[in-house]
Amino acid sequence: MRLENKVAIISGGSRGMGAFEAALFVQEGAKVIIGDVRDEEGRDLAKHIGSNAVYMHLDVTSERDWAAVVKEATDRYGKLDILVNNAGVSARGTIEETSVDDWDRVMGINAKGVFLGTKAALPEMRRTGGGSIINISSQLGIVGSSFASGAAYQASKGAVRLFTKATAMQYASDGIRANSVHPGPVDTDMMASGQSTAYLPSIPIGRYGEPDEVAYGVLFLASDEASFMTGSELVIDGGWTAQ
Amino acid sequence: MVDRPPRLEGKVAIVTGAGSSGEGVGNGKAASILFAREGAKVLLVDFQEDRARETLQIIQEEGGVASTLQGDMTKIEDCELMAQTAIERYGRVHILDNNVGISQRGTVVEVSEEDWDRVMTVNMKTIMLASKATIPHMISSGGGGSIINISSIAGLRAHSSTPYSASKAGVIGLTFSMAADHAADNIRANVIAPGLVYTPMVAPRMNDDLRQFRSEAAPLKSEGTGWDVGYAALFLASDEARWITGICLPVDAGLTAVHPGTYTPMNQQTRF
Repeated sequence: MRLENKVAIISGGSRGMGAFEAALFVQEGAKVIIGDVRDEEGRDLAKHIGSNAVYMHLDVTSERDWAAVVKEATDRYGKLDILVNNAGVSARGTIEETSVDDWDRVMGINAKGVFLGTKAALPEMRRTGGGSIINISSQLGIVGSSFASGAAYQASKGAVRLFTKATAMQYASDGIRANSVHPGPVDTDMMASGQSTAYLPSIPIGRYGEPDEVAYGVLFLASDEASFMTGSELVIDGGWTAQ
Repeated sequence: MVDRPPRLEGKVAIVTGAGSSGEGVGNGKAASILFAREGAKVLLVDFQEDRARETLQIIQEEGGVASTLQGDMTKIEDCELMAQTAIERYGRVHILDNNVGISQRGTVVEVSEEDWDRVMTVNMKTIMLASKATIPHMISSGGGGSIINISSIAGLRAHSSTPYSASKAGVIGLTFSMAADHAADNIRANVIAPGLVYTPMVAPRMNDDLRQFRSEAAPLKSEGTGWDVGYAALFLASDEARWITGICLPVDAGLTAVHPGTYTPMNQQTRF
């Protein structure tokens, strides 16, 4: 198995891509702590996956929540090998349409959340000689788009992209790898809440992604198969950004 | 936890440059072994068939299914024979992993026109020809496929190997275009950019000091191998990557993520 005896935390793991990642990680031998603010869905998911998954309430903007989740990983399983910063929210609108509150909310969850999760996980990963951090950015963290998600979303995902590289550089000597994943439009609840078919002509493969298609990329980066990879960007976008 | 099926179950793969040019395991050899280990039937193609036979022997010892074929990928006839052979032996073809490549150092002033033409032919034209011959069979026999091309971080950055860099940058552009051209046929095309990996191709110009230097050049400070590239190829070859096309995946211990010349580990910094 590809993640045998590994311990992982997945933020935003109650549904969508995070839920697929949780199930896939357990299938490959990992113990997973699912963190989310959707408590009922998260508990149901953990129960469904089985005894190697547990759910904890995790507001990624709360330093205290992060400390509790990392402590649970070490108390329960003795270590932390993998952190997937998956939690995120979408936001639409031009710059002029974006309120300061919208901006703060999106940057808080999508960017600050990744910072806080990483900060909380690093000491524990260093203690055991290393780890793998996977941050979910977006293809819109690489290229601009006028009709897609809004300016705040793009800025937050761009922040995740370079924060990942900073993490990779600063902690490589501790054996900690950090890579970013850049999904294109994926068929999740987050996408479904108001998106149309507007993207389809932009995707060479001609369809939206499925959550498991992102989860398999995350699995690869989490595993020791990617032990020579850090600071890299894995684009999973049906060919969008290759054009 | 459940036992999962092999990751390439039922797939047929062609690996060019499936042998290694010396002792050890190169990118093509590693990918061949991993593909077979995950259930693919693998056609091992190499200009020097005896090298492919070494790979075959390892696969057979592990209980995998593969066979060898001599082929010069700079010739379209050989590429066509390669694709037909895969169909004849295994009925279909889903995966093409293009590893054929050579080094070529020097500046534009230093390089001879012959050497330039040779590196462009071996590193880039071979991919065009092998893909040209294989894609129609992927469409007709497999309903699509996955092409993996091996470039290099030398295709992204200056690397004291100008002709090599030019050819490897060409591979990236070629791959992106193939991805766009053939997405409608359900064919994916992706490129891997290995960093300073220690493989039989580079071994002849290495010594212990140089290996040490290369190992420590990138943030992770570990020596890469053909296996690191092979695992990335395995992922891109598999259906796990079925929504991934037209990407360049660095496998480089963080080298290209660093601002050139500025990387100093935090615990060794005195000032910045």
